[in-house]
Amino acid sequence: MAQVSLNLNGMPMECEVDENSLLSTFIREDCGLTGTHIGCDTSQCGTCVVHVNGQSIKSCTMLTLQAHGADVTTIEGIADGDDLHPMQAAFREHHGLQCGFCTAGMVMSAIDLVNHHPEPSKAEIRAYMDGNICRCTGYHNIVKAIDAAAKEMAAR
Amino acid sequence: MPDGTEETGIGASVRRKEDYRFLTGQGNYTDDINRPNQTYAFILRSQEAHAKITIKTDKAKKVAGVVAIFTGDDMQVGSIPCGWQVDSKDGTPMREPEHPPLAKGVVRYVGDQIAVVIATSLNAAKDAAELIDVDYSPLPVAVDLMTAANSNGKHGALVHPDLGTNLCYDWDIGDESEIDAALATSFYVTELEIRNNRLIPNAMEPRVAIGDYDKATDHYTLYTTSQNPHVIRLLMGAFVLSIPEHKLRVIAPDVGGGFGSKIFHYAEEAIVTWASHKIKRPVKWTSDRSEAFMSDAHGRDHLSLVKLGMDKTGKFTALKVNTIANMGAYLSTFASCVPTYLYATLLAGVYTTPLMYHIIFRMTNWNQG
Repeated sequence: MAQVSLNLNGMPMECEVDENSLLSTFIREDCGLTGTHIGCDTSQCGTCVVHVNGQSIKSCTMLTLQAHGADVTTIEGIADGDDLHPMQAAFREHHGLQCGFCTAGMVMSAIDLVNHHPEPSKAEIRAYMDGNICRCTGYHNIVKAIDAAAKEMAAR
Repeated sequence: MPDGTEETGIGASVRRKEDYRFLTGQGNYTDDINRPNQTYAFILRSQEAHAKITIKTDKAKKVAGVVAIFTGDDMQVGSIPCGWQVDSKDGTPMREPEHPPLAKGVVRYVGDQIAVVIATSLNAAKDAAELIDVDYSPLPVAVDLMTAANSNGKHGALVHPDLGTNLCYDWDIGDESEIDAALATSFYVTELEIRNNRLIPNAMEPRVAIGDYDKATDHYTLYTTSQNPHVIRLLMGAFVLSIPEHKLRVIAPDVGGGFGSKIFHYAEEAIVTWASHKIKRPVKWTSDRSEAFMSDAHGRDHLSLVKLGMDKTGKFTALKVNTIANMGAYLSTFASCVPTYLYATLLAGVYTTPLMYHIIFRMTNWNQG
């Protein structure tokens, strides 16, 4: 076991974890934040995407100990109280989700895209979201949602 | 005409009730649920398509954190039933193989359940599973659809030798002589061989099952990733575990996609429910993606010979389809109705109805899940 301390959605956390604990498992099992999902064991599906120090990462590819001292943000940490983040609101408005299982990863990856590329084209959106798989929507409405959210975020 | 700008009534854009909680990470999927004093199950699966097996679990049972290990010898319960009886055209009932939740001496596909390891952590269960000694004596396999359909045990392998054939049933709908006559007088007849490939539904959310037996009330609760909890309560309670319905609750919370694969009653649901009663603690099983490829019910895998008759104007006159369908090593809950009543009755699609159609099915079992 090893000691880890990090900021999770702005809250300081001190925990003892197994050395081989994955960040995704730590977030779900140790911290009880189950909005971050695990959909594969091959780092392909993207349902576990979170932000570590402002960068998106598939949390199943990272050991918890590698996040020691970091700022970690999950889907639970992006809304402003009851007000949805523009990306969340756009997914809701444009029906960018159905079963909701991929949604947290989609939203976290999409925010990372717009943070680093404020005016992405639809082709750039599709290329950037390559690491997030959805089985329900056919992606079209996800792209529409991200496009709309990017414009909303630029206007703020 | 509705254009999406209406505020109420038909054509109005309606917000879904569930989106807020999904978008804020507050969904409640089965794997999000944990029960007090919970244990974790790992299922050891067959690496062979068809083999006799002997199992030694002594070393595995000594691993720290292991609570129990069960095999088919321990789990003496009913067979997992197919939920839909389909009779052959001669009136004989379909041949339904016995389907034990944990294999009893013989495995019949790669992924067949051999043993369940229950431990205080998933890692401990996985470590112990590696120490289970499984001795496989390989048996002949049927892995090609046409070969499997024509196998009799002397020529070609039988998946269930006790049934004497790989054929589940030989079913039809319509009048063959009538349609043959219509095809004979059609202006044009086109013939095709169509392979509708096998597929894995692959929902984003892997399957999960949590069995929770409460000794105080002698009551069972199963949390499961399901599109069909009521049927699972009926099949598992009445046929597999002999639990009366008033003592069994099946809870299906938010489901992360199913695409049909979560309609069925699966072995793992019976295993965790039964094991929870044995050890008097909740038992949680979570599939990983690789495991899902082996253990989820697959779809399609049909080989069809099609004859379509048309008149001079191209209007359909008759459709005759002869399909061989792979139903896997065991029958899933709806394996029997998918390629018959849920397929043959829909073959005309949206087109101007053919005058008649006729379908013959030969169903086969083979060594795949």
